[in-house]
Amino acid sequence: MFGKKSTTGVNTKEVKAILNEKKTKMELSLKACAHCTLCAESCFLFMGRNKDPKYMPSYKFLNSVGILYKKKGNVDILDLGEMRDLVWERCVLCTRCYCPVGVDIPEMIALARRVCRSQGVYPQYERE
Amino acid sequence: MVKAERKPIEEIKDAINGYKRVLITGCGGCVSICLAGGQREVNELKALLNIHLKKDNTPKELDGYTMERQCNDQFLEELEPTIDQYDCVLSMACGAGVQNMAKMFPQIPVFPALNTISIGIDKDIGMYEERCRACGHCVLGYTGGICPVTRCSKGLFNGPCGGTNNECCEVSQEIPCAWLDIFNRLKEQDRLDDIKKIHVPMEWHNQTPRTIIQESYKQRYSV
Repeated sequence: MFGKKSTTGVNTKEVKAILNEKKTKMELSLKACAHCTLCAESCFLFMGRNKDPKYMPSYKFLNSVGILYKKKGNVDILDLGEMRDLVWERCVLCTRCYCPVGVDIPEMIALARRVCRSQGVYPQYERE
Repeated sequence: MVKAERKPIEEIKDAINGYKRVLITGCGGCVSICLAGGQREVNELKALLNIHLKKDNTPKELDGYTMERQCNDQFLEELEPTIDQYDCVLSMACGAGVQNMAKMFPQIPVFPALNTISIGIDKDIGMYEERCRACGHCVLGYTGGICPVTRCSKGLFNGPCGGTNNECCEVSQEIPCAWLDIFNRLKEQDRLDDIKKIHVPMEWHNQTPRTIIQESYKQRYSV
Protein backbone atom coordinates (compact mmCIF):
# COMPACT_ATOMS: atom_id res chain seq x y z
CA MET A 1 0.00 0.00 0.00
CA PHE A 2 2.71 2.43 0.92
CA GLY A 3 5.40 2.26 -1.74
CA LYS A 4 8.92 3.47 -1.17
CA LYS A 5 9.05 7.23 -1.41
CA SER A 6 10.49 8.47 -4.67
CA THR A 7 13.76 10.34 -4.46
CA THR A 8 13.85 11.21 -8.15
CA GLY A 9 16.20 14.05 -8.97
CA VAL A 10 18.37 13.46 -5.92
CA ASN A 11 21.55 11.44 -5.85
CA THR A 12 20.90 9.89 -2.43
CA LYS A 13 24.21 8.05 -2.53
CA GLU A 14 26.02 11.38 -2.67
CA VAL A 15 23.81 12.83 0.07
CA LYS A 16 24.50 9.84 2.30
CA ALA A 17 28.25 10.15 1.69
CA ILE A 18 28.22 13.79 2.81
CA LEU A 19 26.14 12.95 5.89
CA ASN A 20 28.46 10.07 6.72
CA GLU A 21 31.45 12.40 6.85
CA LYS A 22 29.84 14.23 9.77
CA LYS A 23 27.77 11.38 11.13
CA THR A 24 29.20 11.35 14.64
CA LYS A 25 28.97 15.10 15.10
CA MET A 26 25.48 15.16 13.60
CA GLU A 27 24.22 12.39 15.88
CA LEU A 28 25.79 13.95 18.93
CA SER A 29 24.39 17.39 18.12
CA LEU A 30 20.87 16.06 17.54
CA LYS A 31 21.00 14.09 20.80
CA ALA A 32 22.54 16.96 22.73
CA CYS A 33 19.95 19.57 21.75
CA ALA A 34 17.82 19.91 24.87
CA HIS A 35 15.26 22.20 23.20
CA CYS A 36 16.14 24.75 25.85
CA THR A 37 15.64 27.66 23.38
CA LEU A 38 18.63 29.51 24.83
CA CYS A 39 20.07 29.84 21.35
CA ALA A 40 17.05 31.86 20.27
CA GLU A 41 18.04 35.22 21.70
CA SER A 42 21.49 35.10 20.16
CA CYS A 43 19.90 35.11 16.69
CA PHE A 44 19.29 38.60 15.36
CA LEU A 45 16.85 37.28 12.75
CA PHE A 46 14.75 35.67 15.51
CA MET A 47 14.83 38.85 17.56
CA GLY A 48 14.12 41.03 14.55
CA ARG A 49 11.10 39.03 13.48
CA ASN A 50 9.00 39.28 16.59
CA LYS A 51 10.57 36.14 18.03
CA ASP A 52 9.02 33.95 15.35
CA PRO A 53 9.94 30.38 16.47
CA LYS A 54 10.71 29.44 12.86
CA TYR A 55 13.78 31.65 13.10
CA MET A 56 15.07 29.96 16.23
CA PRO A 57 18.52 28.46 15.50
CA SER A 58 17.53 25.11 17.01
CA TYR A 59 14.39 25.00 14.84
CA LYS A 60 16.47 25.62 11.74
CA PHE A 61 18.99 22.97 12.70
CA LEU A 62 16.44 20.32 13.71
CA ASN A 63 14.33 20.88 10.60
CA SER A 64 17.23 20.62 8.19
CA VAL A 65 19.93 18.29 9.45
CA GLY A 66 17.36 16.59 11.70
CA ILE A 67 15.26 15.67 8.67
CA LEU A 68 18.28 14.52 6.66
CA TYR A 69 19.31 12.30 9.56
CA LYS A 70 15.83 10.96 10.21
CA LYS A 71 15.35 10.10 6.54
CA LYS A 72 18.88 8.69 6.36
CA GLY A 73 19.55 10.86 3.34
CA ASN A 74 16.56 9.51 1.40
CA VAL A 75 15.18 12.94 0.59
CA ASP A 76 13.50 14.12 -2.59
CA ILE A 77 13.94 17.36 -4.44
CA LEU A 78 10.90 18.91 -2.70
CA ASP A 79 12.41 18.18 0.70
CA LEU A 80 15.60 19.92 -0.41
CA GLY A 81 13.60 22.84 -1.81
CA GLU A 82 11.92 23.34 1.57
CA MET A 83 15.27 22.99 3.27
CA ARG A 84 16.75 25.58 0.93
CA ASP A 85 14.23 28.16 2.11
CA LEU A 86 15.00 27.30 5.70
CA VAL A 87 18.79 27.28 5.61
CA TRP A 88 19.25 30.25 3.30
CA GLU A 89 16.22 32.48 3.80
CA ARG A 90 16.08 32.18 7.57
CA CYS A 91 19.79 32.00 8.33
CA VAL A 92 22.67 34.17 7.14
CA LEU A 93 25.32 31.97 8.76
CA CYS A 94 26.64 34.84 10.85
CA THR A 95 27.91 32.15 13.27
CA ARG A 96 26.76 34.14 16.27
CA CYS A 97 24.27 31.65 17.68
CA TYR A 98 25.14 30.41 21.13
CA CYS A 99 24.39 26.93 22.45
CA PRO A 100 25.01 26.25 26.15
CA VAL A 101 25.69 22.56 25.53
CA GLY A 102 28.09 23.28 22.70
CA VAL A 103 26.13 22.29 19.60
CA ASP A 104 27.85 23.95 16.65
CA ILE A 105 24.64 25.12 14.99
CA PRO A 106 26.36 27.02 12.15
CA GLU A 107 28.31 23.91 11.24
CA MET A 108 25.08 21.93 11.10
CA ILE A 109 23.32 24.55 8.96
CA ALA A 110 26.39 24.62 6.69
CA LEU A 111 26.11 20.84 6.40
CA ALA A 112 22.48 21.12 5.28
CA ARG A 113 23.52 23.76 2.75
CA ARG A 114 26.29 21.52 1.51
CA VAL A 115 23.81 18.69 0.92
CA CYS A 116 21.49 21.07 -0.95
CA ARG A 117 24.37 22.44 -3.04
CA SER A 118 25.51 18.93 -3.94
CA GLN A 119 22.10 18.38 -5.57
CA GLY A 120 22.05 21.72 -7.36
CA VAL A 121 19.64 23.31 -4.88
CA TYR A 122 20.86 26.78 -3.88
CA PRO A 123 19.68 30.40 -4.05
CA GLN A 124 19.25 31.93 -7.50
CA TYR A 125 19.91 35.53 -6.55
CA GLU A 126 19.04 37.01 -9.92
CA ARG A 127 15.55 35.50 -9.75
CA GLU A 128 14.78 36.56 -6.20
CA MET B 1 28.53 44.18 0.36
CA VAL B 2 31.74 43.29 -1.47
CA LYS B 3 31.32 43.41 -5.24
CA ALA B 4 33.54 41.58 -7.71
CA GLU B 5 33.76 40.55 -11.33
CA ARG B 6 35.40 37.66 -13.10
CA LYS B 7 38.86 38.11 -14.54
CA PRO B 8 39.30 37.74 -18.31
CA ILE B 9 39.46 34.10 -19.30
CA GLU B 10 42.94 34.52 -20.81
CA GLU B 11 44.31 35.75 -17.48
CA ILE B 12 42.74 32.80 -15.68
CA LYS B 13 44.17 30.38 -18.23
CA ASP B 14 47.62 31.90 -17.81
CA ALA B 15 47.43 31.51 -14.03
CA ILE B 16 46.61 27.80 -14.12
CA ASN B 17 48.97 27.03 -16.98
CA GLY B 18 51.27 24.21 -15.94
CA TYR B 19 48.88 22.67 -13.43
CA LYS B 20 46.99 19.52 -14.30
CA ARG B 21 44.32 19.14 -11.62
CA VAL B 22 42.53 22.36 -10.79
CA LEU B 23 39.89 22.96 -8.14
CA ILE B 24 37.58 25.92 -8.78
CA THR B 25 36.18 27.10 -5.48
CA GLY B 26 33.08 29.26 -5.15
CA CYS B 27 32.01 31.32 -2.16
CA GLY B 28 28.42 31.46 -0.93
CA GLY B 29 28.83 34.95 0.53
CA CYS B 30 28.96 38.40 -1.10
CA VAL B 31 30.35 37.26 -4.47
CA SER B 32 27.49 34.82 -4.77
CA ILE B 33 24.97 37.61 -4.34
CA CYS B 34 26.68 39.83 -6.92
CA LEU B 35 26.63 36.89 -9.37
CA ALA B 36 30.41 36.69 -9.66
CA GLY B 37 31.61 33.71 -7.64
CA GLY B 38 28.76 31.52 -6.41
CA GLN B 39 27.95 27.94 -7.27
CA ARG B 40 26.36 28.82 -10.61
CA GLU B 41 29.41 30.89 -11.62
CA VAL B 42 31.72 28.03 -10.63
CA ASN B 43 29.80 25.73 -13.00
CA GLU B 44 29.94 28.36 -15.73
CA LEU B 45 33.67 28.95 -15.36
CA LYS B 46 34.35 25.24 -15.35
CA ALA B 47 32.39 24.77 -18.58
CA LEU B 48 34.01 27.81 -20.19
CA LEU B 49 37.53 26.75 -19.21
CA ASN B 50 36.91 23.25 -20.50
CA ILE B 51 35.94 24.63 -23.90
CA HIS B 52 38.97 26.97 -24.04
CA LEU B 53 41.46 24.37 -22.84
CA LYS B 54 40.14 21.78 -25.25
CA LYS B 55 40.45 24.27 -28.07
CA ASP B 56 44.04 25.03 -27.04
CA ASN B 57 44.72 21.30 -26.86
CA THR B 58 45.76 21.62 -23.19
CA PRO B 59 42.96 19.82 -21.35
CA LYS B 60 42.99 19.77 -17.55
CA GLU B 61 41.06 18.00 -14.84
CA LEU B 62 38.71 20.65 -13.49
CA ASP B 63 36.50 20.24 -10.43
CA GLY B 64 34.19 22.73 -8.78
CA TYR B 65 33.21 23.13 -5.17
CA THR B 66 31.34 25.91 -3.41
CA MET B 67 31.57 26.50 0.32
CA GLU B 68 29.54 28.89 2.41
CA ARG B 69 32.30 31.45 2.94
CA GLN B 70 36.01 31.52 2.16
CA CYS B 71 36.72 34.29 4.68
CA ASN B 72 35.92 31.94 7.58
CA ASP B 73 38.28 29.08 8.52
CA GLN B 74 35.39 26.99 9.79
CA PHE B 75 33.92 26.65 6.32
CA LEU B 76 37.28 26.15 4.60
CA GLU B 77 37.90 23.06 6.71
CA GLU B 78 35.48 21.22 4.41
CA LEU B 79 38.26 21.09 1.83
CA GLU B 80 40.87 19.48 4.09
CA PRO B 81 40.15 15.85 3.10
CA THR B 82 40.28 16.50 -0.66
CA ILE B 83 42.55 19.50 -1.24
CA ASP B 84 45.70 17.40 -1.77
CA GLN B 85 44.14 15.79 -4.83
CA TYR B 86 44.66 19.07 -6.69
CA ASP B 87 47.71 20.87 -8.07
CA CYS B 88 46.21 24.33 -7.63
CA VAL B 89 43.09 26.18 -6.56
CA LEU B 90 41.24 28.80 -8.57
CA SER B 91 39.32 30.78 -6.01
CA MET B 92 36.20 32.70 -6.96
CA ALA B 93 36.08 34.55 -3.63
CA CYS B 94 36.93 38.18 -2.93
CA GLY B 95 40.52 39.16 -2.11
CA ALA B 96 40.02 38.35 1.57
CA GLY B 97 38.69 34.88 0.76
CA VAL B 98 41.56 34.11 -1.62
CA GLN B 99 44.11 35.11 1.02
CA ASN B 100 42.39 33.05 3.69
CA MET B 101 42.36 30.04 1.39
CA ALA B 102 46.08 30.53 0.63
CA LYS B 103 46.84 30.79 4.36
CA MET B 104 44.78 27.73 5.20
CA PHE B 105 46.41 25.55 2.52
CA PRO B 106 49.95 26.94 2.14
CA GLN B 107 51.11 23.82 0.28
CA ILE B 108 48.86 24.57 -2.71
CA PRO B 109 49.06 27.57 -5.06
CA VAL B 110 45.83 29.60 -4.91
CA PHE B 111 44.93 31.89 -7.80
CA PRO B 112 42.17 34.49 -7.86
CA ALA B 113 39.55 34.12 -10.58
CA LEU B 114 37.88 37.41 -9.66
CA ASN B 115 38.82 41.04 -9.37
CA THR B 116 37.42 42.47 -6.15
CA ILE B 117 35.98 45.82 -7.12
CA SER B 118 34.26 47.58 -4.25
CA ILE B 119 31.83 47.74 -1.40
CA GLY B 120 28.68 48.70 -3.21
CA ILE B 121 24.95 48.71 -3.58
CA ASP B 122 22.64 46.71 -5.84
CA LYS B 123 21.32 49.00 -8.59
CA ASP B 124 19.56 46.27 -10.52
CA ILE B 125 20.03 42.59 -11.28
CA GLY B 126 23.70 42.22 -12.12
CA MET B 127 24.35 45.96 -11.78
CA TYR B 128 26.25 47.28 -8.79
CA GLU B 129 27.65 50.66 -7.88
CA GLU B 130 30.50 51.49 -5.54
CA ARG B 131 29.56 53.40 -2.42
CA CYS B 132 32.38 52.81 0.06
CA ARG B 133 36.16 52.41 -0.10
CA ALA B 134 36.50 51.33 3.52
CA CYS B 135 38.83 54.27 4.16
CA GLY B 136 38.45 53.71 7.89
CA HIS B 137 37.39 57.24 8.74
CA CYS B 138 33.74 57.73 7.83
CA VAL B 139 32.73 61.33 7.14
CA LEU B 140 29.18 60.65 5.98
CA GLY B 141 27.86 62.27 9.17
CA TYR B 142 28.82 65.73 7.98
CA THR B 143 28.60 65.22 4.22
CA GLY B 144 24.88 64.51 4.14
CA GLY B 145 25.30 60.77 3.64
CA ILE B 146 27.26 61.22 0.39
CA CYS B 147 30.80 59.88 0.43
CA PRO B 148 33.38 62.30 -1.02
CA VAL B 149 36.09 59.61 -1.04
CA THR B 150 34.03 57.34 -3.27
CA ARG B 151 31.82 59.72 -5.21
CA CYS B 152 34.27 62.54 -5.95
CA SER B 153 36.70 61.57 -8.72
CA LYS B 154 39.50 63.27 -6.81
CA GLY B 155 38.35 62.07 -3.40
CA LEU B 156 38.37 65.67 -2.21
CA PHE B 157 37.59 66.31 1.44
CA ASN B 158 37.19 70.07 1.47
CA GLY B 159 34.68 71.01 -1.17
CA PRO B 160 34.54 70.97 -4.95
CA CYS B 161 37.53 71.56 -7.17
CA GLY B 162 37.56 74.10 -9.98
CA GLY B 163 36.49 71.52 -12.50
CA THR B 164 32.81 71.39 -11.59
CA ASN B 165 31.04 71.92 -14.87
CA ASN B 166 27.27 72.13 -15.34
CA GLU B 167 26.71 70.26 -12.09
CA CYS B 168 28.96 67.45 -13.32
CA CYS B 169 32.53 66.32 -12.86
CA GLU B 170 35.25 67.47 -15.22
CA VAL B 171 36.17 63.81 -15.65
CA SER B 172 32.87 63.07 -17.39
CA GLN B 173 29.55 64.75 -18.01
CA GLU B 174 27.98 61.46 -16.93
CA ILE B 175 29.30 61.82 -13.37
CA PRO B 176 27.45 64.21 -11.07
CA CYS B 177 29.66 66.41 -8.90
CA ALA B 178 29.72 64.78 -5.47
CA TRP B 179 30.36 68.04 -3.68
CA LEU B 180 27.43 69.77 -5.39
CA ASP B 181 25.24 66.85 -4.25
CA ILE B 182 26.64 67.18 -0.73
CA PHE B 183 25.96 70.93 -0.72
CA ASN B 184 22.40 70.48 -2.03
CA ARG B 185 21.54 67.76 0.45
CA LEU B 186 22.90 69.68 3.43
CA LYS B 187 21.12 72.83 2.26
CA GLU B 188 17.86 70.91 2.00
CA GLN B 189 18.36 69.69 5.57
CA ASP B 190 19.48 73.12 6.74
CA ARG B 191 22.83 71.67 7.82
CA LEU B 192 25.28 73.70 5.76
CA ASP B 193 27.16 74.56 8.95
CA ASP B 194 28.31 70.93 9.04
CA ILE B 195 30.77 71.45 6.18
CA LYS B 196 32.01 74.75 7.54
CA LYS B 197 33.51 73.05 10.59
CA ILE B 198 37.24 72.40 10.57
CA HIS B 199 37.99 68.71 10.89
CA VAL B 200 41.28 67.04 11.73
CA PRO B 201 43.08 65.84 8.61
CA MET B 202 42.34 62.34 7.40
CA GLU B 203 44.84 59.73 8.52
CA TRP B 204 45.17 57.41 5.57
CA HIS B 205 45.65 53.93 6.89
CA ASN B 206 45.51 52.20 3.58
CA GLN B 207 49.13 51.13 3.72
CA THR B 208 48.73 48.69 6.57
CA PRO B 209 46.24 45.85 7.07
CA ARG B 210 43.55 46.98 9.47
CA THR B 211 42.02 44.77 12.13
CA ILE B 212 39.02 45.85 14.14
CA ILE B 213 37.89 44.61 17.52
CA GLN B 214 34.43 45.75 18.56
CA GLU B 215 34.25 47.68 21.84
CA SER B 216 32.44 44.95 23.75
CA TYR B 217 35.11 42.39 22.77
CA LYS B 218 38.18 44.42 23.71
CA GLN B 219 38.40 42.89 27.17
CA ARG B 220 38.17 39.41 25.69
CA TYR B 221 41.17 40.02 23.44
CA SER B 222 43.04 42.06 26.10
CA VAL B 223 43.19 45.25 24.05
